[in-house]
Amino acid sequence: MFSESFSVLFHDFRYAPLIIQIALIFIVIAVVATLLAYLSILVARFRGYRNDKRLSKLQPLIDQLLIEHILMNESLNDPNLLPEQVQLPIEVFDQPVFQKKWARQAMIDRLINFRKNVRGAMGDQIRNLYVQLELDKETLKKMKSGKWEKKVQALYEFTSMDMSIADVTILPLTNSRNRELRAAARHAYIKLSKNEPFKFFDVATEPLLEWDQVELFKIISTTEHIAIPNFAQWITYSSNKSIVSFCLKLIVHYNQLSAVPAVVKLLNTKDHYLRADAINCLGKLKTETVEEKLVYMYDSQPLLCQLEILKALGRISSGKYIDFLRQEFLHATDFEVRKHAAKSIINNQWAAKGLVQELVDTATSENKLILKHSMNPLIKY
Amino acid sequence: MSKILLVEDDEVMPKIMERILHREEYQIDHVTNGKEAFAKLEETNFGYDLIITDIMMPYANGFEILSKVKNRPDAKPIPVIIVSNAGNEDMILEGFKLGADDFLKKPVIPGELLIRVKRLLMQYR
Repeated sequence: MFSESFSVLFHDFRYAPLIIQIALIFIVIAVVATLLAYLSILVARFRGYRNDKRLSKLQPLIDQLLIEHILMNESLNDPNLLPEQVQLPIEVFDQPVFQKKWARQAMIDRLINFRKNVRGAMGDQIRNLYVQLELDKETLKKMKSGKWEKKVQALYEFTSMDMSIADVTILPLTNSRNRELRAAARHAYIKLSKNEPFKFFDVATEPLLEWDQVELFKIISTTEHIAIPNFAQWITYSSNKSIVSFCLKLIVHYNQLSAVPAVVKLLNTKDHYLRADAINCLGKLKTETVEEKLVYMYDSQPLLCQLEILKALGRISSGKYIDFLRQEFLHATDFEVRKHAAKSIINNQWAAKGLVQELVDTATSENKLILKHSMNPLIKY
Repeated sequence: MSKILLVEDDEVMPKIMERILHREEYQIDHVTNGKEAFAKLEETNFGYDLIITDIMMPYANGFEILSKVKNRPDAKPIPVIIVSNAGNEDMILEGFKLGADDFLKKPVIPGELLIRVKRLLMQYR
């Protein structure tokens, strides 16, 4: 019966016009693909549901064991012992469920979650438990995995548990071609390397993307006891432009005045963007000695650098170049140039009190508007 | 017995806090978001001796709870401690501007939290 109907269908298909044959093939492919897609969604959801169900049973058990036997165990608070020397009652975790890989992963995730919330003696005991239960070996396996997502997960786990990783393992990853892995490795390196957290700047050939810079900046500025080097070394020697640009921002953040000579040298670079970053850095460091050079080079610069020079003169606010700023404000044709010149005049107004009023009285209506805009302390640019 | 309202959407933190504070015989009511916190405060007529709140939570954030609690001119003042992951300068200053009595950045040291809770409860008694 089935073979009969199949042969009829096959016969119909074989002798159908070509266009119908093509359409039928497409229909079959579409139906099969849709069914496969639905099936894979169903399988993924079922796995997720099963995982949630298993975790909902396991997590209270982990919490209870952890709180009862580790975190609230007064007998573990021996002031004569270092936290890593305390022998924890790990036998309470010696249960069949913890032999399973998923349960051990759930345990690692929970420990990380606890460590995000508590530090001090409790935080040390959580780390101690992670080591004594040999969960670090699970993480190390992930670190050796060929899959990049496993490596990222391992780096996250090691960083959260404040576990050191050998330079030979982590440094190559800071230069990985995979963006996610590269970022995770750099973050981990800064967090875990207490002596030379910026060593990867030396080997970085891949660019630091804007978002990487934001993340790195957050880590650098929030990590405690981090050894801050003189960033001028990378300004001078690094061939990676994004590293130089990032170091300029760090020089400003840490107010490293010792780096000023290296930044001044960078004014001769052929890269306009780097030069603009260098001018921005000098302005924010309020380097008065560089004002003359900035004004001298102004006319030969592209717009981007000219705007940074105007901003720098406003930030340094020495009052020496107010005539130059006035000239640019009155005669420049570019709106942005006039806007930044006006803002810098306002910042320098202590040196020429009558000038602002004179400009307001004599300026064109558009320039008057720019001046009033610049005088508003709530508007920052 | 002092009554503490804990507003925290993380699952682990309340467990730790309950253990630390319950041991000292504080009664803790835990809610997981700003909306529930408002409901609890209305329901009890602001009958708490201390509020411990996170900042970033669904429905209403910690700052909204803080300003509601602190803007009751003729009512009994309730101390508020902010416990949050967000430790940037702006957040901390905003918290204190709105009247927070203390700010603790996560991860917290349990002993420190306990001492700060005790100190504030004594101060407002």
